Amino acid sequence: MTNLMDELRIKIIDTLKLEDIAPEDIGEEDQLVGGELGLDSIDVLELVIMIEKDYAVKIDNKELGARVFANLKALAGYIGEKAPEGIF
Amino acid sequence: MTDIRVVISGMGLMTPLGSGVGPNWHALLKGKTGIGKLTLFPTKKDLSFPVGEATESFSLKGPPRTHQMALMAAEEAIEHTIGPPDAIVMGCTTGGMSRTEALLKEKKSDPALFSHHSAGSVAEHLALKLKCKGPVITVSTACSSGATAIAVALALLRTGKYKKILAGGAESLCRLTYFGFHSLQLIDPHGSRPLDRNRRGLTVSEGAGMLLLEGKCGEVDPHTIEVLGAGLTCDAFHPASPDPEGRGALAAMKGALGDAGLTPSDIDYVNLHGTGTIDNDLSEAKAFNGLFDKEKPLVSSVKGAFGHSLSAAGAIEAVVSAKCIETGIAPANVGCHIPDPKLNLHPLKESTHASIKTVLSNAFGFGGSNASLVIGRSRKREVHPAMRPARLEVAGMACITGAGNTMQTLSAFSKGSNCQGLLSDKEISQALTPRTIRRLKRLSRMGLSLATAALEDAHGDIKPESVFFGTGWGALSETHDFLKALYETNEQFSSPTDFMGSVHNATAGRIAVKMGATGPNITTTGGDYSFEQALMSAHLLAIDDDKPLLVMGADEFHPVLSGLLDQSVTKADTPSDGGGALIVKRRESGAGPKLEPLFYKNAHENPLVISSLVQCLGGTEKINLDFGAVFAGLPAASRITGKKQLDSFIQTTGFTGPTIDYRHYVGEFASASAAAVVLAVALLKTDEIPMALAGKETVDLNGKGILMLGLGNFVTAVAVHHGEALL
Repeated sequence: MTNLMDELRIKIIDTLKLEDIAPEDIGEEDQLVGGELGLDSIDVLELVIMIEKDYAVKIDNKELGARVFANLKALAGYIGEKAPEGIF
Repeated sequence: MTDIRVVISGMGLMTPLGSGVGPNWHALLKGKTGIGKLTLFPTKKDLSFPVGEATESFSLKGPPRTHQMALMAAEEAIEHTIGPPDAIVMGCTTGGMSRTEALLKEKKSDPALFSHHSAGSVAEHLALKLKCKGPVITVSTACSSGATAIAVALALLRTGKYKKILAGGAESLCRLTYFGFHSLQLIDPHGSRPLDRNRRGLTVSEGAGMLLLEGKCGEVDPHTIEVLGAGLTCDAFHPASPDPEGRGALAAMKGALGDAGLTPSDIDYVNLHGTGTIDNDLSEAKAFNGLFDKEKPLVSSVKGAFGHSLSAAGAIEAVVSAKCIETGIAPANVGCHIPDPKLNLHPLKESTHASIKTVLSNAFGFGGSNASLVIGRSRKREVHPAMRPARLEVAGMACITGAGNTMQTLSAFSKGSNCQGLLSDKEISQALTPRTIRRLKRLSRMGLSLATAALEDAHGDIKPESVFFGTGWGALSETHDFLKALYETNEQFSSPTDFMGSVHNATAGRIAVKMGATGPNITTTGGDYSFEQALMSAHLLAIDDDKPLLVMGADEFHPVLSGLLDQSVTKADTPSDGGGALIVKRRESGAGPKLEPLFYKNAHENPLVISSLVQCLGGTEKINLDFGAVFAGLPAASRITGKKQLDSFIQTTGFTGPTIDYRHYVGEFASASAAAVVLAVALLKTDEIPMALAGKETVDLNGKGILMLGLGNFVTAVAVHHGEALL
């Protein structure tokens, strides 16, 4: 889980070109969307694609997205639960 | 409100419901839907969503699908008129993309195959086929394009200079929009259900709607139907999401009513934009309920029947609005079974007979661009004389070329040095914060930098209210990267950010957000004349002296696409890009430098175009009195034609002042004239043309202006001068 969260920190920064953010700036319970990171719904969709591509996990509606992208911990938890065996 | 009424004298439709206005109307009233299975290109099973495909079959030879649909609708619209239209104004976003993306997939590299790529090429195709010699303008404001085109045509007709204009919109289905809306999770897998409580999104479709509009004076004929008014605004809120409060939509509807001289109680039926996305319908419902607080007119969205044909939708729905009035029937809100109680709307369950004299029709789009039209039976209204043409006084300006920013470019240009080349992305974005640009690629960065610098030059105290942006090719980086990612993943994944940024008006929309510009936000596109189209639109729509405008043009060089799409770039030795931006104010008097678009005509099979230009500028003597120098725009792809036109102009007028072939300095890019006009204003301020540009010696302008000529496939003229209005 911790490894996955660390991996996701880097992927989030990379995918969203958050040049002014360091991986350690993303706390596991920090609000991802609308919080200090300044992410919006388009960023979430960009992350949806990254997660489907890299972890084969689909997040295809807004209600689910709001729950999964609440914070890093929730996101890693969902990916950990839904990813097909052998992906990690 | 002017003394010229704009009458709809012909209409044409090509949609998923059928070919021709009659069959479409019949199907719509029966509550049919044109939404069905996608057949145009293959998709994976789990990525197969319903679409609206046009019913007609199109030839794979000849121009792309969009062009063919537009021509069919246009021919229907003009079938009862004699002679070509005086001008064409089209709304279009993806142009020949359906063909381009297939060619790119097959890795084709012959530029000739891409000759119908541009959004502007649809209107140019119509002009060629219908022999229109006047202005050919394309507005590209995403899903509001079709309605915005009608608004621009309305403004053109109200000047009294044109009698009949063909206006509308056309769009064909393509991977870019299909996968793009999917990447934004905005497609309803069950097909669009506008206003329904279970709605999940829109259905991408295609089609064309064309209207022949005629300017009429004199007695009112109550049998005719007019475009009574138009309202254009920008949310200045977000690149792809509507303002949840619906403020921009409400302002557009109010603007259209004000322009028509009517009040909300005059409206009998509202044709909603009603895409079926959760956010659009919520935002539009707020705006609707904000406008109609007591008596509510009939209301429905037809996107459950037609799907959402993006740039064509506003024009198709203008035709639907006119049919409602003609027949006294309002169409049902197909696809809506249980209206969403949160909307507080009562969409028509079935086609309904009613006395319909006046309709309000909405079209909203990415970039927060909103257009509302009021269409109604001709009636006696209070009128006032046509608006005098505005002169646009320059309050601040900026340009970017390969030589650098405004100062660097001007310094190099004045010495006759080369300004060609490309700045790095970093240099272009110097004045912008990493947060501002993290989602922006080259064109948007350039546009935002130009706008910021122009505002700074105006001492930051006059923020623009409206934005007019010309671009020949739009956001090539986003378009390329979107398709590249799509093809690399076997048509599975694509970037929502790139899709959102790929629309031509993404740059202008972002500028509006940054500057809080909530007025009209119009992006025009027409190859080498895109900036002139933007200036012309600004000139037409600048009606308020107190509201500054931003008029600009920019194009990016893209290493893969530019050489395939822009034949002038193909011929150039040095890749170049850049643009120019000017903050202007409408002025009746004052001595500051002014811009005045004077002439715009199609030069194709038009041997009289130069004599017509000379005549329009007031004849030989006046031209020599008004202008001390000519800036000539000679695109490499049409240089031979352009040179002949220039020679003919010089010969006819006996003009002896310096003629500056500005592309020789700034390089080959579609909006080179936007950078050049900034340089012309700078030279006008010094009242001289330096020796390095003039030839043998420095030439005094002696208070005279500079004439900017666009030459080649079209001939355009813009005056840069100090004095009173020239025309």
